[in-house]
Amino acid sequence: MNVTDQDLQYFISALKNYTKYDFSDYSDKSLKRRVEKVLADRNLDVAGLITSVKNSQDFAETIVKEITVNTTELFRDPQTWHLLRSRILPRFKNNKNINIWHAGCSTGQEVYSMMILLHEMELFDKAKIFATDLNSDVLEAAKKGQYKYRFNIGYLDNFDKVIKQNPLNYEEFNDVPYEKYFEIDKAKDTITMKKFLTEKPIFRKHDLVKDGNLFFAKFDLILCRNVIIYFNYNLQNKVFELFHSNLYPKGCLLLGMHETILGPWATKFEKIGQAYVKK
Amino acid sequence: MNQLKGMNFLRNLKMGQRIQLFVFLTVVATYTMSGIVLSYLSVSRAKSTSEKQMSVYVDNLEGMIDLQESITKNGLDQADFSALKNHFYKAAFHKTDFPFILSNNGKYLLHITKEDQRIPKDLFIQISNNPDKRGYLTIESAKGTEVIYYKYLSNYDIYLGISTPDSEVIESVAQNRSVMILVVIIAISLFFVIVSLIIKPITRTIQQVNSSIKKMALGLEGDRLERIQNDELGQIIGSLNTLTEGLSRTSHFAKELGNKHLNAEFSPLSTDDILGNSLLAMRDSLKVAEQEEKRRKQEDETRSWITSGLAMFGDILRQNNNNLSHLADSVTQNLVNYLNANQGGLFIYNNEDTSNPHLELVSAFAYNRKKFFEKTIALNEGLIGTCAVEKNTIYLKEIPSGYIAITSGLGEATPTSLLIVPLKLEDTIFGVIEIASFTEFNQHEIEFVEKIGESIASTLYSVKNAIRTNQLLEQSQQQREEMAAQEEEMRQNMEEMQATQEEMARKTIEMEGISKAIDQALIYCELDEEANIFLPNDNLAVAMGYPKHELDGLNLSELVHISNKKEIAAIRNEIAQGSPYKGTLRMLTRDGIDLYLHINVSPTFDDMGGIYKIILIGQDITESKLLEIKAQKQADEIEANLAELQAEQEIARMKENDIKGLLQALDTTCLITEIELSGKITYINNKNVETLGDPKDKIEGKYHRDLDGLAKKSPKDYEAFWNSLLSGISQNRVFSLTVNGLEKWISEHYTPVTDDNGNVTKVINIGFDITDSKEKEKEMQRLISEIAQLKKDNNK
Repeated sequence: MNVTDQDLQYFISALKNYTKYDFSDYSDKSLKRRVEKVLADRNLDVAGLITSVKNSQDFAETIVKEITVNTTELFRDPQTWHLLRSRILPRFKNNKNINIWHAGCSTGQEVYSMMILLHEMELFDKAKIFATDLNSDVLEAAKKGQYKYRFNIGYLDNFDKVIKQNPLNYEEFNDVPYEKYFEIDKAKDTITMKKFLTEKPIFRKHDLVKDGNLFFAKFDLILCRNVIIYFNYNLQNKVFELFHSNLYPKGCLLLGMHETILGPWATKFEKIGQAYVKK
Repeated sequence: MNQLKGMNFLRNLKMGQRIQLFVFLTVVATYTMSGIVLSYLSVSRAKSTSEKQMSVYVDNLEGMIDLQESITKNGLDQADFSALKNHFYKAAFHKTDFPFILSNNGKYLLHITKEDQRIPKDLFIQISNNPDKRGYLTIESAKGTEVIYYKYLSNYDIYLGISTPDSEVIESVAQNRSVMILVVIIAISLFFVIVSLIIKPITRTIQQVNSSIKKMALGLEGDRLERIQNDELGQIIGSLNTLTEGLSRTSHFAKELGNKHLNAEFSPLSTDDILGNSLLAMRDSLKVAEQEEKRRKQEDETRSWITSGLAMFGDILRQNNNNLSHLADSVTQNLVNYLNANQGGLFIYNNEDTSNPHLELVSAFAYNRKKFFEKTIALNEGLIGTCAVEKNTIYLKEIPSGYIAITSGLGEATPTSLLIVPLKLEDTIFGVIEIASFTEFNQHEIEFVEKIGESIASTLYSVKNAIRTNQLLEQSQQQREEMAAQEEEMRQNMEEMQATQEEMARKTIEMEGISKAIDQALIYCELDEEANIFLPNDNLAVAMGYPKHELDGLNLSELVHISNKKEIAAIRNEIAQGSPYKGTLRMLTRDGIDLYLHINVSPTFDDMGGIYKIILIGQDITESKLLEIKAQKQADEIEANLAELQAEQEIARMKENDIKGLLQALDTTCLITEIELSGKITYINNKNVETLGDPKDKIEGKYHRDLDGLAKKSPKDYEAFWNSLLSGISQNRVFSLTVNGLEKWISEHYTPVTDDNGNVTKVINIGFDITDSKEKEKEMQRLISEIAQLKKDNNK
C-alpha cells in the first residue's frame, strides 16, 4: 500500500484534529513507511485508517503505538556507555543528586542499563531516574522490567563489554554476575530486573512534541537516543531547545550514535565525544 | 327372659357373692331340712314316747284298778269308780290327756267329762274288734287329732284307755322347734359372718389375681402380689408372681433384643421355658444374623468404598487431565485422604532422556500438606525403583528406619506401613505411587490402589500425550508470536536504520552545503598537530598568493609574520590540550604583503576523545585590520581617542572570540541566509536577526527579491545576479542599509549549493557585518578631516 504525501498529510491532520498527537513535524519519509506498514498489517487503506482514527480514540492510540519505533537494547552501542562511564558520569561524582531523564525510554533497557552502570559506579543512590515515552504500552513493559531472554541474549555481551571489561585497560575485568541485577530464567525465556531497579525510576507518558518538562526538576543528564531521527529539522531544534533549557549548566545531552545537533543549538553545547555538554 | 336374666345375674355375680349366696342357701336348706327332719323325728318320737307313756300309764291305772278292786272286792262298782276318780280326773302327762274307762258297750264309765257318754260306735267297733285287746287309735276330734290307747281288761270287762291330743304331745316339740329355729338363725348368721370373714380376703386376693391376670391378658405387666397365705391361693400368687416376674424378665429381654442388645443377660424361667428358650434361640439366630449383617455391611461398605473411590478418582482423573502437576497433586492428596493414610508421593516415569530413564517425584503430601522437594530415582534404585522395574506392588508392614524423609514437625508419630504400587498400563510403567500410613492396609485397599494405579497410568498416558501435543502447539504458537515479534523488531530496527540513514544523508547534504559555503566564503585548511597545513582551499591559496600544492605541507609558522611566530606555539599548545584556538594572525603573503587573518583552529575528536582532525577556518580581515591599524596609528597620534580605539580593539577581539570553530564561527559571526531556488528565504540565523533587526518570521518565507535593495533599484542587475547564482556561480557584494536609524554595511557571499549531480539545490548567503570597518573608515576620515581642520586651525 503506497502512501502519498497527500495521504500522509490527511492522516497527520486527522491525528492532530481528533487526538492529542501531532505528527506534523515528524520525518515524513519515516512516518510514511510506518503508516504503510500499519496499513499492510491491518489490511486497510488510508481513508479507512483515517475514518477509524476519527471514530475511536483507542484505535488512534493503538495506531500511534504501532507507528512509533521502540528499538532499544541493553547497553546499546557499548562505546556510548564507555563514554558515559569514563567521561560523562564521573563529572557528576561530587554532585549531591544526579537527575537523569531518559526521553523516549521505550521498553526501558536503556534505563536499566543506566541504573546498572550507576550502581557499578556507586552513584546509584545519588541518582534520580526519570523516564518517559509516548507509548504507554512500552512504558508498562519498562515498569515491569521483564524481557525475553532469547531476544536479548546477544545484548548480554554488551553488559560484559560495558560492565565487566574496560576498553581503556583490557587487563581489567570485573566479574559482575548478572544475578546482581537481573534473574535469567531460560525455561520461561525471561530476563527479570531486580526489584531494587524496577522500583527506582519514575515512568511517565510524555510527548516530546508538546509536553515540555513533566518533572519539576532540571537534569544533569538527558538521554534521547535514536528519537530525533524520526523528527524533522524543525522539531529537532524544538526538542534541543527543550533539552537545553532543562539541563543544568554543564549538564549533558546524549543523542544516538548517528544523531548530531546541527543548526542554531549546536553552539549552545560543547561536544565531548558523542555527548553534548551545555555551555 | 327372666330365666336368662337370672342366669346373667348369676353369671355376673362376683365369686365372693356367689360363694356367699351358695353357702347361705345351702346352709338355710340344710338347716331347714335338718330342722324339719328333727322336728318330724322329735314329733314321731314324742308320739311314740307318748304312746309308750300312755301304755305305761294305762298299765299303772290297771294296777290301781286292780288295787282298788282288791280293796273292795265285789267287782267294780260305783264306789270303785269314785275312788278311782282321783286318778282319772287328772291329766296324765299333758293338759287334757285324761284316762277313761269304757264299758264293754262303749260307755264311758269313768272320764272327767264324758262320763256316761258313749264312744262313737265305729271307734268302739275298732276297739272291740281288735283281737290284741290293746292298741292305738287315731281319731279326729274337735280337739284335733287324738291318739287313743286302749286295753281291754278282761277281769273287769272294761276297756281302759287314754286319749292324748297330738297337739299337746307336739307342744313341747314345738317349743323345741322355736328354740331350734332361733339357734339355726344364729348359727346361720354366725356361719355367714364366718364365711364372709374367711371368703373376703380370698376373694380380694382372687380379685387381685384376677386383675393381674387381666392385665397380663392385655399384655401388660402383672402386679406383684403379696403372698399372705401358704394355701393353694398362696401358691397361685406365688406362681403368679413367678409368672409375672418371668414375663417381665422375658419381656425385658425381648425388649433388649428389640433394641438389638443381643448380649443382654437372660436365663430361662426353667429348663423347659418355651418362651424363654425361644427367645434365646431367637437371640442366637439374631446374633448370627447380626454377624452376617455386619459382615455383609462390611462387604457392602468395602464395595461402596471401592466404587465411590473409583468414581471419585475417575472424576479427578478426568478433571485434571491437562496439567500433570495438578493431576498428580490431586491424585496424591485424595488418595492419601481416602486411605486415611499419612503421606504419599507420586513418581512419574520419565524416559524422555533414553540414556537415563528415571522416576521423578511430581507430588508429595504429608500430614495433609503439600511438600515441595525434588527427587529423582533411578530405575532399580531403592523400593520405588524396584517397584517400577518389577511392576509389582510392594507392601511393607514395617518401614525401614530412616526411610520416611518427612516427619511431623509437631512430633506426631511416623507411619508404620508402606505401600508402593506401580502405575502400569498393559505392562508399561508410567510411574509409582507410594503411600505410608499409621495403620496397616487392608487387602481391598491395596487392590483399590492397584486398580486406581491403572486408571492413573492410563490418564498419565493420555495427559502426557495431551501435554506433549499442547506443548508442541504452544511452542509453535509461541514461535509464531516470537517470529512476529522478531519481525516487528527487525522492521523497527530497519526503520531506525533507515531513519538514521536519512537523517545522516540530510546532515551530509547540509554539511556539504555548509562546507562548500565555507570553502567559498572563508579560508579553510586542515592542520596536523605540528600546525602543518593540509588541504588548503583556494581562498587561502589566493589570499596567500601561493599555488595550492605549495601550501600543502607548509607549516603555518612559515606563513606568519615574524612578529606572530609565537602565536603558532600557542596554537600548538592549545591543540595539544585539545582546545580550540581563536585569534588574528598577521601573515605574510608570498609577495611579502601583510595579510591579517582572523582564524579559528578547532580540533575535532573521535569518540574516545582522541584528536581526529584539526580544522583551521579563517577570514581575511586585512582590510579592516589595516584600517584598524591605521586607526590605531592615528589613535596613537591622538591620545584623546586612544581609549576609544582600545575599546574598539576590545570589540574586535570579542568579535574574534565569537568566531569559534567551523559552525559556531559561521553562525555567530556571519549572517547566514538559506534561499530556495525560487528565491524564497527558508532560514536566517540569529546573527542575521541580530544584525539586521528583522525577526525571523518576518524574513523566513519571504522572497529574496522582495527584500533585496538591488532588486528594487535595478531589477535587471538583480536578475543577472540571481541567474548567475542559479547557474552555480558564487556572488559577492556589499550593501548598506539602515537598521534602527543606524547604517549597516554588509558584505555578502552568495554560494549556490549543489547536490551530487551538480544541480543547484539552494543558495546559502554568508554575510559579514562590516559596518565597524566602514565606520572606522568613516571615523578615520572624520578624524583625518578633523585633524586637517585642527592643522588648518593650528596653521591659522
